[in-house]
Amino acid sequence: MTHHRTLHLPIALSALAALLCACTPQRNEHDIVIGVLADLTGPTADVGRPYHEGMLAAIDDLNAHGGIRRRHIQALSEDYGYKVPTAEEKYKKYVQASVVAVQGWGTGDSEALRRKVAGDELPFMSASYAEVLTDPEQSPYNFVVAATYSDQMRIALDQIAAADPQAQVAVFHHDSPFGNAPIADGKQWIASRGYQLGYQEYAMKAGATDYVASLQRAQQQGARYLIVQNVASPAATLARDIAAQKLGMKIVCLNWCSDELFVQLAGPAAEGTWMVQPFAPPSVPQPGHEPLKQYCAAKGIDFESAGVHFVQGWYTLQVMAGGLAKLLADGRELSGKNLRGALETMGPVDTGGVIGPIRFSAASHRGATAAGVYVVEHGKLVERARALTPRS
Amino acid sequence: MSATATGIFHDSYASELRLCHTRAEKRRLVLTLALLSALPWALDGYWLGVVNGIGIAAIGAVGLNLLCGFSGQISLGHAGFMAVGAFTSALLSTRLGLPAPLGIGAAVLLSAALGALVGLPALRVEGVYLAIATLASQQIIEFIVCRWSWLTQGRGFLDVPRLGFLGDHVSRLTFERSWYWLILGVATLALLGARNLLRSALGRSLMAVRDHDVAAATIGIDVARAKLTAFALSSGYAGLAGALCAQYSEIVSWERFTLDVSVQYLGMIIVGGLGSLAGSVYGAVFIGLLPPLLSELATLASSGGSSWTAQLPALQLGAFGAAIVLFLLFEPRGLARLWQRALDYFGSWPFRY
Repeated sequence: MTHHRTLHLPIALSALAALLCACTPQRNEHDIVIGVLADLTGPTADVGRPYHEGMLAAIDDLNAHGGIRRRHIQALSEDYGYKVPTAEEKYKKYVQASVVAVQGWGTGDSEALRRKVAGDELPFMSASYAEVLTDPEQSPYNFVVAATYSDQMRIALDQIAAADPQAQVAVFHHDSPFGNAPIADGKQWIASRGYQLGYQEYAMKAGATDYVASLQRAQQQGARYLIVQNVASPAATLARDIAAQKLGMKIVCLNWCSDELFVQLAGPAAEGTWMVQPFAPPSVPQPGHEPLKQYCAAKGIDFESAGVHFVQGWYTLQVMAGGLAKLLADGRELSGKNLRGALETMGPVDTGGVIGPIRFSAASHRGATAAGVYVVEHGKLVERARALTPRS
Repeated sequence: MSATATGIFHDSYASELRLCHTRAEKRRLVLTLALLSALPWALDGYWLGVVNGIGIAAIGAVGLNLLCGFSGQISLGHAGFMAVGAFTSALLSTRLGLPAPLGIGAAVLLSAALGALVGLPALRVEGVYLAIATLASQQIIEFIVCRWSWLTQGRGFLDVPRLGFLGDHVSRLTFERSWYWLILGVATLALLGARNLLRSALGRSLMAVRDHDVAAATIGIDVARAKLTAFALSSGYAGLAGALCAQYSEIVSWERFTLDVSVQYLGMIIVGGLGSLAGSVYGAVFIGLLPPLLSELATLASSGGSSWTAQLPALQLGAFGAAIVLFLLFEPRGLARLWQRALDYFGSWPFRY
């Protein structure tokens, strides 16, 4: 037995440690650091990319205008491919980098990180509008900027009940926590409002190339209306299948397929689709679109094709920036706990009509309850009703 | 250079039963323990989190190796048993208010019992057919935890309260470090348990069944019992890993226990070395470090202007596949055998053998 054989493990480990140290990013102490989790390559990447770009654009724009009280925002952004364990891994990295807040993405990761951000006292916003995230009792550090999926579902059901009180409704949803989020609340809404609507759910398997079999079952149910809680690409496949089979069902998209991408992918099959969308799309101009238009013009981006999710990312970040501005204006220390307090007390955030005023309080982290309803006409999103809330 | 020992000779039963037989082994053990104790101070929270994930994976991989490497059965349902462990431990500690250690213990027992049940087809079929039977168990468990709304009260996930250590609430600063010690302790016990088991009559009977089940039966081994025990043991380890995972990540949802995870565990024991306990740990380290290291490399490469990060998921999958293929081609007995060969090489250096 020799002495030197025992040396290889420590040498290898110290080499590894040296490599890891070299990888730690450098940053300016004065910057406000936030972590961003994005889906750029996973199953929701089609809408995840524009949302992420909108968020980074808002940061870029804020920094170009001097930052928040002369402090720049630095975003640490990583793709997590819609995988919850990867999101947790990236989140730990952000905690290590001493971020003051995190911008997440999906329902799965927002729910999984809910308790972690509460334990670590880091405010968390995401593009998930699941009901559980609005309750400070259950999710003390999560903030939801738009009408929840459940509220969107209620608005959709209100619309359907007004148009056809006896209709059968089929809910087609992403097979994940995101897709399941509004299902039970929709059923309860029908019962509590005394609607005569039929209601059945159908899970859409990820990566399916057609949904003919599920549609057959929906046809047997006698479904006239299909509420879709999924992202644009599978929803477009669904629309094409309906058109090809001449089933004559009307699609009602919630938030994540209510966009230009769906219209583009579904083509003529998208005509007449209803869309419940909390954020005003570029095709329905609002005063709040102006700063985005200016930014896009300066950067050579086509605002119309950047789409509604770009707007969504932009304004979600603006809300968090509002909290940061209040925190720094009050002269308090920059910490997650103080930011949470600032978000709860900053008063309504005006988005220039893009989305109704967003307001949080210590009792509720439900930023808004209203969503617009749009209809697809000649390949464009046309406003059908503005700022609807579930009927009380 | 001292003379190399020509063999290991025992002059008493006690010496045969020792954990370490040579001085070099003892030295390596001490060195490893010293390194492991230094790790929490050398690594930041993020990397310690990665190490904690590896620790949990190592427990699961040891379990799978007991089944595949030592008993010659195959399972594509390992993640399913982890799900059983995770949900049981979470339900017991949240709904019945059982202390976490008791909940984890019960989770291990339930997963083991379920594992024995799922192992029943192994009495009749083997090879590819057994793989398909265990695949079915994976899908069934996945389906149940995904669709049975009672489990999560329709929410799709279960919250697990943050584990307190000695009544203390663990803050984010010490969270990873506290968990590191806990996981290290449990993993060490799990490894020692497996090692002792393999030296016992039961362990030997498992290996006899693996090598030739008919021959094993003729020398009086109850093949059916051995196979079912192997399944129960393996699922028990999986349940332990799942329960730890639930307590550590403070949330349980079905998304964490899909077929991909089962395949990943098979990858771990192939890369690490089938039929080697140390190999299970090496495999867990390898597969656990691959994604974060690749992601660091991609970030480094992207800072030059090119965009490697966009290709990262594809790169990670590719690297995982390539690692398995390369190991199967060049060293089917995995990292454990590579390490042994390296030791032998340096041991007899400058001579070839």
